[in-house]
Amino acid sequence: MTVGGGATSAPAKFEPQKLRIYGIVGSLVGIYLAVVLNQATGTTVFSFIAAIGALFGVVMGANAVRRVCSYGIGTGVPSIGMLALGMGIVAALFGLNLGAQFGMDWLGPIIALIYSLIFGYVVGLIANRVMGFNIPVMEEGLTDLSGAGTLAIIAWSVAISGSLSYSSIVADVLNTGFIAIIFICGGLAILHPFNANLGPDEKQDRTLVNGVMVGGVAIVATGVCALLTQGMILGLLQIVVGFVIWYYFFVWYFRLAKRDAAAVVGTGLLPPSAL
Amino acid sequence: MNVGPETIVYILEIVVGGLLVGIGVHFVPVGGAPAAMAQATGIGTGTVQLAAGCGLTGLLAAGLMMSVTDNLWPILATGAVGAMIMIDATMLTGSWIYAYAVGAPFASAKVNYDPITGFSQPPYVAPGTVGQGIPTVCFVSGTIGALMGGVGGAMIYYPLMLINGNPAMSAIFAIGIFFVNAVLASWNIQGTIEGFHDPKFKKWPTAFRSCLAASFILAIVAVLIIPIATSGGV
Repeated sequence: MTVGGGATSAPAKFEPQKLRIYGIVGSLVGIYLAVVLNQATGTTVFSFIAAIGALFGVVMGANAVRRVCSYGIGTGVPSIGMLALGMGIVAALFGLNLGAQFGMDWLGPIIALIYSLIFGYVVGLIANRVMGFNIPVMEEGLTDLSGAGTLAIIAWSVAISGSLSYSSIVADVLNTGFIAIIFICGGLAILHPFNANLGPDEKQDRTLVNGVMVGGVAIVATGVCALLTQGMILGLLQIVVGFVIWYYFFVWYFRLAKRDAAAVVGTGLLPPSAL
Repeated sequence: MNVGPETIVYILEIVVGGLLVGIGVHFVPVGGAPAAMAQATGIGTGTVQLAAGCGLTGLLAAGLMMSVTDNLWPILATGAVGAMIMIDATMLTGSWIYAYAVGAPFASAKVNYDPITGFSQPPYVAPGTVGQGIPTVCFVSGTIGALMGGVGGAMIYYPLMLINGNPAMSAIFAIGIFFVNAVLASWNIQGTIEGFHDPKFKKWPTAFRSCLAASFILAIVAVLIIPIATSGGV
């Protein structure tokens, strides 16, 4: 059940418009930079850049979840994360396939992004007009969410396959079933932050830091998949990158949790120095 | 891509599949977090988890049948049976826990008499709760919902397989369409419902319209995907 945080408008330090631009540009730059560097060097060493790029999209998505769900949608936060990834997977496959049909694989993410933004807006319209949610940020939030899901799926797919070509993504990510791992880990990275932090004391920076932290765990997961597709060393590289991101943001998140807590007391399970 | 009469049939099949999923969700007794604490009637988890569970089982069953035949009817039937087995197993084992571990009598707070067994309900509803466990009517309703969800999932999967010929891609694409429709339907019932006897069930036309629009947009792009020869990979 969703408990409304700030019922009317959740206080935000970072404007959603700014996060949207960072999210879209950051993810696209990550995807294309990884692909260009991989092609230039003839290796798949730089695939982890795409995995890091996905984190920008995740932050944009987590912020959209936060904005929409603070009104209370009645079904729990996970539903909206799964909706985001459901829209994202359709858009990603459609975009990559259409790009391949035109013979321009690099166009795939752009087509997918445009389709997903339109579709997200339409679903938002349906939710508000047909179902009568009357949440003012619904259209905007679902547009962001759909785009974030698409960018996360494409970026992590590139991180596993090492290339943007449709045929290698189908062979390395879809036929192997790794897409299911991206689906769930990406969904968690987008839906979990607000699900874990919701409540009257929810703070935007704490929620978003949590999103990057879960994104780091997702990179570890894509790294495990990359062990099979790119070999031992490159897979391990991605796992280490994911672990470093997770650790850095976990420590940061812990600091913010202590900042927002009324008091931090030990129960004896952890040594006092760990608190 | 070639637009022909079969393309229109594919679009219709995907839209009907999406609608079946959306309406099927209204039959499943979703209790959400309160039901997990035996304070509401239904299965103690959210719609999305239940839809994902029965949808994926249905898809797996339908995919298995599709590997041996191209006939639509056995594929739909297998998908329906797979989803029904999954949700019935969930409700049955959940009922054991509610009956023998939690110790709650099964009662619905939405009706005075169970429409199927005719048993009186209010005396068994604990004060401060909105029913407990999974009464007979909810069990039957859930089975009907799983049937519709399973047929819907198989009906989405079948045309996708014919269009792109890749089982993995069809499955994940079908899951995407499935999730969109299931979440829209679960928003319509605001998270919890007991089954076809629940007053909230009367809201299904809203979900019908929403899922119709969403499925149509998804179906349009689904038929644009064409098989492209793949090479390399693992």
